[in-house]
Amino acid sequence: MIDFVSRQTLTSRSTAIVHKYRNKKRGWTRMKKVLAILLASSLVLAACSSKSDNGTEGSNGNDTASKETKEVTVWAWDPNFNIAALNLAKEAYAAKNPDVKINIEENAQADIVQKLNTGLNSGTTKGLPNIVLIEDYRAQSFLQAYPDAFYDLSSIIKASDFADYKIGPTSFDGKQYGVPFDSGVTGLYVRTDYLEQAGYKAADLQNIDWNKLIDIGKAIKEKTGKDLLTQDPNDLGLIRMMIQSAGSWYTKEDGTTPNLANNAELKAAAETYKTLMEANIVKVTSDWSQFVGAFNSGDVAAVPTGNWITASVKAEATQSGKWAIVPFPSLPGAAKATHASNLGGSSWYVLNTDGKEAAADFLKQTFASDVDLYQKLNKQIGAIGTLKAAATGDAYQAADDYFNGQKIATDFAAWTEQIPRVNYGMHTYAIEDLLAVEMQNYLGGKALDKALADAESQAETQIK
Amino acid sequence: MKVAKPGISIPHRGSRTKLTGWWFVIIAVVMIAAFYFYPMIQALLLSFKTGKGANLHYTGLDNYKRLFSDKTFLTAVKNTFIYLIIQVPIMIILGMFISVLLNDRNLKFKGFFRTAIFLPCVTSLVAYSIIFKYLFGTDGLVNLGLTKLHIIAEPINWITDPFWAKVTIIIAITWRWTGYNMIFYLSSLQNIDNSIYEAARIDGASAFRQFFTITIPLLKPIILFTSITSTIGTLQLFDEIVNITKGGPGQSTMSISQYIYNLSFKYSPDFGYAATVSYSIVIMIIILSFVQFKVAGDK
Repeated sequence: MIDFVSRQTLTSRSTAIVHKYRNKKRGWTRMKKVLAILLASSLVLAACSSKSDNGTEGSNGNDTASKETKEVTVWAWDPNFNIAALNLAKEAYAAKNPDVKINIEENAQADIVQKLNTGLNSGTTKGLPNIVLIEDYRAQSFLQAYPDAFYDLSSIIKASDFADYKIGPTSFDGKQYGVPFDSGVTGLYVRTDYLEQAGYKAADLQNIDWNKLIDIGKAIKEKTGKDLLTQDPNDLGLIRMMIQSAGSWYTKEDGTTPNLANNAELKAAAETYKTLMEANIVKVTSDWSQFVGAFNSGDVAAVPTGNWITASVKAEATQSGKWAIVPFPSLPGAAKATHASNLGGSSWYVLNTDGKEAAADFLKQTFASDVDLYQKLNKQIGAIGTLKAAATGDAYQAADDYFNGQKIATDFAAWTEQIPRVNYGMHTYAIEDLLAVEMQNYLGGKALDKALADAESQAETQIK
Repeated sequence: MKVAKPGISIPHRGSRTKLTGWWFVIIAVVMIAAFYFYPMIQALLLSFKTGKGANLHYTGLDNYKRLFSDKTFLTAVKNTFIYLIIQVPIMIILGMFISVLLNDRNLKFKGFFRTAIFLPCVTSLVAYSIIFKYLFGTDGLVNLGLTKLHIIAEPINWITDPFWAKVTIIIAITWRWTGYNMIFYLSSLQNIDNSIYEAARIDGASAFRQFFTITIPLLKPIILFTSITSTIGTLQLFDEIVNITKGGPGQSTMSISQYIYNLSFKYSPDFGYAATVSYSIVIMIIILSFVQFKVAGDK
């Protein structure tokens, strides 16, 4: 910009303009000076603060033998869920280990991903936490992109203690890196009052497939004028849920070869998606708050999603007793169709830096073994864990009045164990963005085989 | 391009004073070298590497070859150029038009209008993007107004339809940046001597004639300046896209900058290729600026 201005100065005809721009240029230089001072002072500040950081880190790492206060820093997102869970875990851990200080830091998920990427890529682990929460879909991209950055927990936790489907994303090269946390087990949340107006009961929706649900949706629309569900055209979560329920994914078993063109399950899911979108029973949304707003205001009759939505559904107290949760509809025509799937969910990882032993111990004593903790997590924040033993606790047997006394935790825990295990690989979001384009084309009339083949050839150039 | 020497010449003095001069600028020079040039060179080197995350290795020009077979990149370039070709002229013309109106001597409440039109520029990019997203939502105020006024029968899917999403983005950036460009025009309009117009009026020139033969030629340097900065701004478009449409539906509103972000942070981190894409923006800016200088600059 400075360059342009100065050139302007020289070429312009009007002396008045020249004068004007000289002033402007002077303004710029002045601003640059101010900026330089700011930069310099921020450097000094950064130097000071990093020095003090070094001090504490040093005492962390070197003096593990002596019983000094150890500090473990944890990063996670979502104050109502993950942070709340961490606070409960911190409480439970502090009761037994008063000498360890747990620092919980809340960051948005996108910020965590950015900071981790830049931190790990630059090779300095200063400023990074000891424990970090990573979404399962992204886990492999971190584990594979930064091979030595994470601490191998194979000897500390037992993979077989957790739901089988969680092990794929959290392990790499035969080593267990993550402590599986929440289950993203899916269910179909339905409004029983709308169903009744259309002549159905919640019992009629047990173990149905998507075609049947679309028929029910049409009946609901006819009788009540309400849409069946919401969809955001940018978010293919529904497709992901459908294909995982049938044991398939965007990539093959190896997690790197795109599996789109000849993927029978994906084809079935795409066809179902198109039928759904064309049945005039879908309310189109473009973000999370519109999605939540749609069911809170009673605009839709069903929400097919992960169990973590329970809290948002219950947030609308006036709808108490009007909801039920039924198993996820199966994918029509799929060979290995089930009624269990997953959406989202994340796990804890320990960074391979000073203080890793203390961090691993914290996870071992809390999320990797503490059944009581999981009861509290379920009672207070509605979290469904993936630690198998947790399901035996009393909180998981409790009836929920909001859902007409349905034992929702029992149901979700049972469905969690049935989720087909797939390898999410490291390209879920990259492929999904390509697929979203072709899906739009398919809805617009392009042949499905051609659309998927195009998506696959693009994915092959993209994934290198 | 010929460049005239600036009017003021600095008297020549000894090398000692020169050295003193250097001491004054040394901090700025070091800072600029450390925070501008060093990262630029590093990014250039990075653009020749490939790999996920920290596993980078040199692959020569592979990344640059990949650009041409990468449909997502080509879509992003296409979208960015659609914004550029449609939005920049609209904004420049609108900015000029408003500034001429506001420069009218007989206009009352000038200060109020100027402030009102400039105000969008001081709002945060993210904040205004989010407000636009809600205004243009399917149930949003814009649709509500248009349907209530019976201009449209069915609500328009401003955000979720590939065509309308682009329109929404163009409306949003125009709203945000027109006032900014207007200020440049306004300041240079005020520097045009009124006697020129007076002379023109005496000669019987119409208002149109005055605008096209006096105002525009005298504003030419500013038009060039605003069109170059707007071009650069559009090529770097990011906040609005991410916050209003997230690049969707599909990739129909994705910009090059958003693709760089996705390559680095949304997908498996591929910083090498992301650096290549960002250098492609640099190359495009250089070419476009050069063209604009050639077309509009003084011969």
